[in-house]
Amino acid sequence: MVVGMKDALKLIGISVIACCAIFVCTLFLNYNIDIAAMENEITASGVVTMYNAIVSTGKVVAAVSGGCLAVTSVIMLLFYVKNYIDTHGKELGILKALGYSNFKIAKHFWIFGLSVFVGCALGYAAAFLYLPLFYELQNAEHLFPEIKVQFHLSLAFLLVVVPAISFAVLAVIYACFRLKTPVLDLLKEKHEYKAKLSKNETKDLPFLKELTRSTVMSRKSLVFFIAFSAFCFSAMVQMSMSIKDLSSETMAIMILTIGLILAFVTLFLSLSSVVKGNTKTIAMMRVFGYKHSDCSKAVLGGYRPFSYIGFVIGTIYQYVLLRIMVSIVFADVENVPEYNFDFTACVITLGLFVFTYEIAMYAYSRRIKKLPIKSIMLE
Amino acid sequence: MIAVSDITKSYGAGGNRNQVLKGISLQISDRDFTVILGASGSGKSTFLNVISGLERPDSGSVTYGSREITKLSDSELTQFRKDNIGFIFQQYYLLPNMTVEKNVRMGADLADNREYGKIITAVGLEDKSRKYPSELSGGEQQRVSVARALAKKPKVLFLDEPTGALDEQTGRQVLDYICKLHKEYGFTIVMVTHNQNIAEMANTVVKMNSGKISEVSANEKQKTAYEIGW
Repeated sequence: MVVGMKDALKLIGISVIACCAIFVCTLFLNYNIDIAAMENEITASGVVTMYNAIVSTGKVVAAVSGGCLAVTSVIMLLFYVKNYIDTHGKELGILKALGYSNFKIAKHFWIFGLSVFVGCALGYAAAFLYLPLFYELQNAEHLFPEIKVQFHLSLAFLLVVVPAISFAVLAVIYACFRLKTPVLDLLKEKHEYKAKLSKNETKDLPFLKELTRSTVMSRKSLVFFIAFSAFCFSAMVQMSMSIKDLSSETMAIMILTIGLILAFVTLFLSLSSVVKGNTKTIAMMRVFGYKHSDCSKAVLGGYRPFSYIGFVIGTIYQYVLLRIMVSIVFADVENVPEYNFDFTACVITLGLFVFTYEIAMYAYSRRIKKLPIKSIMLE
Repeated sequence: MIAVSDITKSYGAGGNRNQVLKGISLQISDRDFTVILGASGSGKSTFLNVISGLERPDSGSVTYGSREITKLSDSELTQFRKDNIGFIFQQYYLLPNMTVEKNVRMGADLADNREYGKIITAVGLEDKSRKYPSELSGGEQQRVSVARALAKKPKVLFLDEPTGALDEQTGRQVLDYICKLHKEYGFTIVMVTHNQNIAEMANTVVKMNSGKISEVSANEKQKTAYEIGW
């Protein structure tokens, strides 16, 4: 088998993101469907306004969170497929040389859809267990008639089966596309470091600075994931602090938990990929006499600015999202507290972010130090 | 002068313990061209790794001048390699996402060598300095690795089967470059190979067998890369 179950298990990042996305979507969409069944019983004008606001909130949250996380999962899937083909070039090249068609090899990549299925199924199940409490929280003021949690087969199909099939198909199509690489290039594991780099290459840039630049440039998807990790941390932590007044404490805890899981899983997977992808470079640098701190700085340091950009975007995103919720969705609802940018939350979140990010960098720097110097010679 | 005294090195544990170096002693003079000759599994690469400071021996000592490197800490050993040692491997190990020039700068920057361009020219790659390793032939890649090692101005150059992945003509060419640069810069060369013909280029030939030195001999007249058989 070209791609095994073990390889699919490595896509834990996608499973976690899928789990979080489906958890959020299930909560809001299931609630929306159930509450819609009672639409005729809601007649009082104030309650109708509240009903409309809650339905809109559900749609916005499901679309924004689900959409955002779905895009991230797609990028992560493409990254994994490309990475798999890059690192297994020899085996795949031999298969192609023996006469296997691109599609015949690529079709085994469907197994990557399994990790999405596992994530979605777990997210759906977790959300379903949480739904009774969520319904109570949504109707804490008893404005609506009592709503019972109903199971909707179509929703389960849409949130669990459809994503899994879509990702499996996408993995096969993308693998097929990547396998168009000529056999010899696959066998030699020849990656395209392309003339793209040479255009920007500055002749006088010292080696370590050039290494930092080329490490970042050669794997742009990792830049996205590291920025995304910071984005999740920034947006979700600040949102959880600000939303307490607008919603409930349980909602704040839910947002915080999802944000932290997404941020840490994405950051650790990305940094692991960075270190793994640069093992030979690091070993060679140490053979030549570069200090471990130079190696760490050159390999990991280039991502720092992008993580701070991710933090800034996350801050803006959560502010705009909450602003939209308050000014548009809850515009007609009475007694909604005024929402302004929470500067204190921003500063606290930034402090926490700098602390955790630098701790993570330190941990990976220690890992770089422990890389055996002979690792390049053990091939 | 490199003085190696009673070096032992084993891998594995318990019943699987395999003693690769069995009490080796040797002296290598400054500016000498020493070839360590031996069949596969004779321990020659492990010996090279130990005397170059890439690996620590289980017992024995390696001394450069008056400095015993087997007693150095990891960071001191890194600094020692930075100041003294150059490496060339069979598999080149160039950084694939960097141009020839930047690969050479990897060595040059360590020695603050601004004239690394001269070495690129010396190995005949001046017109390929903006190319990536994947755009070069095997021989050209090995020449980049030669330039990278020499750009850091090493006092001792260690080569592990530098022509092992090259065809005869390219192999001769690479060895010729190394010999010319050896004469010009005057560093010490310690080369590991299983090719007996290459040994004819050296001053000193150390034959290894089953983790021991079986013979040390001196060549009265060194041959050039184009005079030896292949």
